[in-house]
Amino acid sequence: MKVSVTRSGGLAGLSRTWVVNVDEQPDPEAWRSLVSGLPWDSRAPSPRHPDRYVYSIRWSRYRMVLSEADLGQWKTLVDRVREKGEPEQGQA
Amino acid sequence: MRCSIIPPYLLDRLAASDSQGHQKAAEAARGSLHLESALDFRAIRADEQVARRGLLAPVPEPGAFTERELQGPQRTIYTANNTEDLPGDVVREENGVASGDPAIDEAYEGLGSTHELFREVYARASIDDSNLPLLGTVHFGVDYDNAFWDGERMVFGDGDDEIFVRMTASLSVIGHELTHGVTQFSAGLKYEGQAGALNESVSDVFGVLVEQYVKGESVDQATWLIGAGLFTDAVQGDALRSLKAPGTAYDDDVLGKDPQPSTMSGYVETTEDYGGVHLNSGIPNHAFYLAAVEIGGNAWEKAGLVWYDTITGGALAPDSDFSDFATATVGAAAARYGGESPERAAVLAAWDAVGIAVRP
Repeated sequence: MKVSVTRSGGLAGLSRTWVVNVDEQPDPEAWRSLVSGLPWDSRAPSPRHPDRYVYSIRWSRYRMVLSEADLGQWKTLVDRVREKGEPEQGQA
Repeated sequence: MRCSIIPPYLLDRLAASDSQGHQKAAEAARGSLHLESALDFRAIRADEQVARRGLLAPVPEPGAFTERELQGPQRTIYTANNTEDLPGDVVREENGVASGDPAIDEAYEGLGSTHELFREVYARASIDDSNLPLLGTVHFGVDYDNAFWDGERMVFGDGDDEIFVRMTASLSVIGHELTHGVTQFSAGLKYEGQAGALNESVSDVFGVLVEQYVKGESVDQATWLIGAGLFTDAVQGDALRSLKAPGTAYDDDVLGKDPQPSTMSGYVETTEDYGGVHLNSGIPNHAFYLAAVEIGGNAWEKAGLVWYDTITGGALAPDSDFSDFATATVGAAAARYGGESPERAAVLAAWDAVGIAVRP
């Protein structure tokens, strides 16, 4: 099971992606619990925030797109994927 | 509609804070409260004003607002102390002495320069054209590689010192963020798709114009770069974007190559970044550059004025696309300089060169 986070936007408009293969983590159950506990079916808030980062979070068939300003309960997952995940496509 | 950059609760709190050593902030806050009252009054429908004239102060003559409306800046700089909590703590107020912290002082000076461009060249009184105070927060987050406008204030990160240095190091970036506020209070362009790319482009245009105005650089002398000096020495690149040559600002092993298109043939369809607002802005950016160079002289004087007239002239809807905007700039150039003027011809040719149709 993979979870990915793509961060786009920001003043610089640079796009970066991090991917975590949950099965290869030392604590896969904690990851599954964290991921499945999030409201993937909810509607994302719509306000736009100039130059703030936009996060696209993917798991299985789900995708949630949120402004950095509206991450709320998603922030823990985003931070963990950025910390533990592999940068994709040779990006920093 | 009441538009205030400072939340009323904060104004109330500051206005009551004399005893805590915040006299200047308290004075500024009380001034803003009075200004808000004046704005509220001005927002009242004309017939009600007539009905109220006997009860309230006389309505000033039309010219009487002019002096008051072009006041100097009212700046307050805060620090978030490397948290993501806004607004943070006040660290420098209007007329306060330099702090010695580059982020604080650059934000203060940069907001002043941007305010001056809009006031001196375009006769605009601050972000909202009604002397709205300018609020900036520095030291936002930890190693935060970004700066943004949150609808009320400009916010600047310190950079991670690996890719970016502090965001206030670039005057064009400070001008860019403040111009997001100007756009919010004028054309109100949506931050999505082509309208979003136009919103971004307007911020880039006035961002480079602030630098050119302060340095006294003509169209031939200017770098036309956004964010020059923000990359560390480890990055192969000059800046975040180039209006002169979109797509050439950086080419780095880690960051990749500047992906901005300069014409419609390179238009990027993407779901990222609200439809690539920071990518496709390269196209209207380049049109502005071409028009400004063809007109010649100082870009802030004629080309900048045409763009300013465009965002404030009422011809744009929030969901305007590139063609709507291009058509509005040609109309603004004709209104300002004449239907047969070289300025109008230069604007028309610039849009044609980047592949955007101007409607008759």
